[in-house]
Amino acid sequence: MKRALYITLNEVRLYLQDKGDLAFSILLPIATFALMYGAFGGHTMFESTAVIVNEDGGNYSTLFIEQLDEIEGIDVELQTAAEAEARLERSDLLLALYVPAGFSETLASGGKAEMVFKQRGNGGQEGQILASIIRSVAEEMNKDFQVRDQVKSVLQGTGIPENRIDITVQQLLEEERRQPAVGVVEEVVGGSPDFINQFLPGIVTMYVLFALTIGARTIVEERKRGTLERLLTTRLSASGLFFGKFLSSVSRGFVQTLILLGLSYAVFQLFTPLSFLASLVICLVFAAAAAALGLIIASIARSEDGSVWIAVVFTMIMVMMGGTFFEVSEGSILETVGKFSISTYANEALRAVVAEGGSLGNTVRQLIVMAGVCVVGLVISRLTFRVLPGGK
Amino acid sequence: MVVKDLHKSFNDFKAVNGVTFSIEKGEIFGLLGPNGAGKTTTIRMLSTVLRPDSGEITIGGHSVQHKAETVRSIIGVCPQDLAIYEDLSAMDNMVFFGRMAGMKGKEAGEQAMANLKLMGLQDRTKGKVAKFSGGMKRRINLAIALMGNPQLLFLDEPTTGIDPQSRNHIYDNIERLQQEGMTILYTTHYMEEADRLCKRVAIMDGGQIISMDTPYNMKSQIGSPEQVTLEDVFLKLTGRSLRD
Repeated sequence: MKRALYITLNEVRLYLQDKGDLAFSILLPIATFALMYGAFGGHTMFESTAVIVNEDGGNYSTLFIEQLDEIEGIDVELQTAAEAEARLERSDLLLALYVPAGFSETLASGGKAEMVFKQRGNGGQEGQILASIIRSVAEEMNKDFQVRDQVKSVLQGTGIPENRIDITVQQLLEEERRQPAVGVVEEVVGGSPDFINQFLPGIVTMYVLFALTIGARTIVEERKRGTLERLLTTRLSASGLFFGKFLSSVSRGFVQTLILLGLSYAVFQLFTPLSFLASLVICLVFAAAAAALGLIIASIARSEDGSVWIAVVFTMIMVMMGGTFFEVSEGSILETVGKFSISTYANEALRAVVAEGGSLGNTVRQLIVMAGVCVVGLVISRLTFRVLPGGK
Repeated sequence: MVVKDLHKSFNDFKAVNGVTFSIEKGEIFGLLGPNGAGKTTTIRMLSTVLRPDSGEITIGGHSVQHKAETVRSIIGVCPQDLAIYEDLSAMDNMVFFGRMAGMKGKEAGEQAMANLKLMGLQDRTKGKVAKFSGGMKRRINLAIALMGNPQLLFLDEPTTGIDPQSRNHIYDNIERLQQEGMTILYTTHYMEEADRLCKRVAIMDGGQIISMDTPYNMKSQIGSPEQVTLEDVFLKLTGRSLRD
């Protein structure tokens, strides 16, 4: 066992020395992640900047601007009337909101106040959406005033202080916003609501499978280098050598996974600490299954090129069958065929945890299948492994 | 080491066909033969890498077939082709193989340094082996075989393709190791090497040993030992036809 660990350590040392290998296994996942971030990063929702000319500066205009600024995707930019006019004039801006002087005073005295949209043409598509969002905030504020006025008129003459009415009404309105009488929920048909959730498991499993390609090469390389034969004249047993190689392949696959999942955690906040750990466990079991399959390839391949080609073809078939980049329809032939791909089980397990918020308990079936593949793969590869034809 | 009636075939090809010989403790024994004679296959069986079809091999009183792990703890192998990690330093290679030979970290480090010094590589311990010359790589290849203090050393053409300086350095070390009591099985295509180093030699051809004696006695069989070379004996016994 100790000597098997030395084999793993030696493999890690060789891996760190090989710049190409290192780049492939560490930089490529980071590059892929950067592309994913570029394509799907941040939010896919509407984003815009609301240019506001606040000529009032009173309590109600400030409250209105704060409420608008709290909306996700909307940034508020305060400008003077002259600045806004100039930008509108040169079409640098298509829509600006003016809050006139006396706005807050009018509202405080129970009067009707108005805000003004100044726009070029129809304000453009972005301007129209922005105007609609501003109107909804104004409507919300309007409703608050109506409710407050009605309550005050009902309670007039009861002796309840006006500021107490104001506070109570405000609390009730906030409560209503948190738990509205009529709510709207989103129900997504045909997959995850988020591209990252959908594709991340596939990308992670694909990289682990690529690690299998490298793993498949290591024994063949060792044989070509002559060190395989030499190692087996030492006190290292063939099983020890095999286990050492297995552990090094698992480590490589796992390191790649760790980079991808770690970045997803840090940048996309896709995980809770628990779901992150669950994902790591799934990836570890998957990496073990992939490494065991890589060892079968290493055992039967007679040349480095042979091992790489077998592993690449095998990886691509697994990726395709496993529904890595597309949804596999229920009841389709692909779904049936996909049951023979370990990627299917890894993708299912990761999606259950990442996209559906499940726990490891929801992935027991997939974990058992992958662990089974690992054990069977190790046994088959050990039985088929020969240092030399006719040798041990 | 005692080898009795050793056989090994690959499909229909008989690579080793009834080889029998023994080596005394502390002896340098030469195994000579043209390409394809079966020398390397024999060494592979003796060093536990290949399983013989039939026959018996005993090393230090242990059967290679039944006590392979024990046998591996008392042998060292310097293969014909370089078997080193070129991306690692000389020291890392030595320590790694020392660990594989069952040594502890500190012990492996100390012996690695001693063996590198023995091979004249004490100034290049940290250098990547890939940047070494052919002769230096050969010396590292031999130094690795010495890790773990083996009692029996297999040297399969250890001086192939190197300059006379490195070759003589290796000869000196082999003689020193033999004087310290190490048993050595040596194969080579350089007959003067075998003549200089080996107490006895066996000439193999077609998977069989066709002659086995001291170099002096072998030379005596075809002429005056002072005028005849071991190469003359070799060519007389194995013929002048080219081998693949």
